[in-house]
Amino acid sequence: MKLLPGMQVFERGWLSANNILFVDEEASTLIDTGYVTHAPQTQALLQHALGARGLDRIINTHLHSDHCGGNAQLQAQYAAHTSIPEAEAVAVRDWNDDALSYRATGQQCPRFRFDATLKGGDRLRLGGADWQVLVAPGHDPHALMFWCEREGLLISADALWEDGFGVVFPELEGQAAFADVRATLELIASLDARLAIPGHGAPFADVGAALQRAFSRLDYLAADPGRNARNGIKVLVKFRLLERRKASLAELEHWMREVPLLATSNRLHLQMEDAALAQWVALQLVKAGAARLEDGWLVDC
Amino acid sequence: MQAPPSPCINVCRMDPHSGLCVGCQRTLDEIAAWGSASAERKTLILQEVDRRRRQAAHQEGQA
Repeated sequence: MKLLPGMQVFERGWLSANNILFVDEEASTLIDTGYVTHAPQTQALLQHALGARGLDRIINTHLHSDHCGGNAQLQAQYAAHTSIPEAEAVAVRDWNDDALSYRATGQQCPRFRFDATLKGGDRLRLGGADWQVLVAPGHDPHALMFWCEREGLLISADALWEDGFGVVFPELEGQAAFADVRATLELIASLDARLAIPGHGAPFADVGAALQRAFSRLDYLAADPGRNARNGIKVLVKFRLLERRKASLAELEHWMREVPLLATSNRLHLQMEDAALAQWVALQLVKAGAARLEDGWLVDC
Repeated sequence: MQAPPSPCINVCRMDPHSGLCVGCQRTLDEIAAWGSASAERKTLILQEVDRRRRQAAHQEGQA
């Protein structure tokens, strides 16, 4: 797989999104910083790669907890210059819990600062090549992707994975976003990408095949918003399980009731009674092999 | 050769004694290299992980 000189992809898991590191003569840059509970691991990977050098820059593709949870620790450790999507600037400056996604999703992210913003059309210099900033609304209204035309490299974040894309969050709370997902996929299709580096999973070369699967998935979800809601609710609960490793069913039911996005999504799309919803999610995760039940505890697996 | 999937199970914590991740049993080197590793290299890493697990189980059995 051909990356640029000094470029490394740290493929993480699901709790932390992938990190992409560029080490040039002028600067070292990390794109996305993982989840807060994994910050020591992210830092260890970074230190291992940087040696005696510091980290000069952080860039976030979008501000979901799995992409910027390491910002605070890395800023404290390295005083790294941080760039975030322009549309998030006010929310981050004020640390507006209602505008940021963490309270809404029941996830953690420590407060961080930023030094600059990025918007569609901006240019970056990474790995000795020029990159364009592209907007990628859908999964997140303010998400960005980075495109290196010379090498055909696309940092697609959660807009496109090898098999699918991130939950369409705005739709969970009744904000139209399927059209945005489609437009973003069409934008990717218009590029001559030879390698996509997604937010989760391995980098992949067959972008055309990934797009075909993504468009199919989008058609499936858009045909019935209940599908996106059921998927989104399962993903949010699984994320909680990844973080906590296990939860009692009673705990889970209580937590689900308190998480604004889960409550809203249920109210708008499913209208299930709280206990029934918790039981349904637990069963679905077990069926999918994503969890197992042990004496009234849902355990991550 | 089909590349095997990542062994990450989202624990992501290095054991200072073994120098291995508590969750996936890889070294920092192996985790960092995985992102651009060939299918062959990934398979070799997983074989090494498997060997470490078997060795750890064996040692535990003897304790």
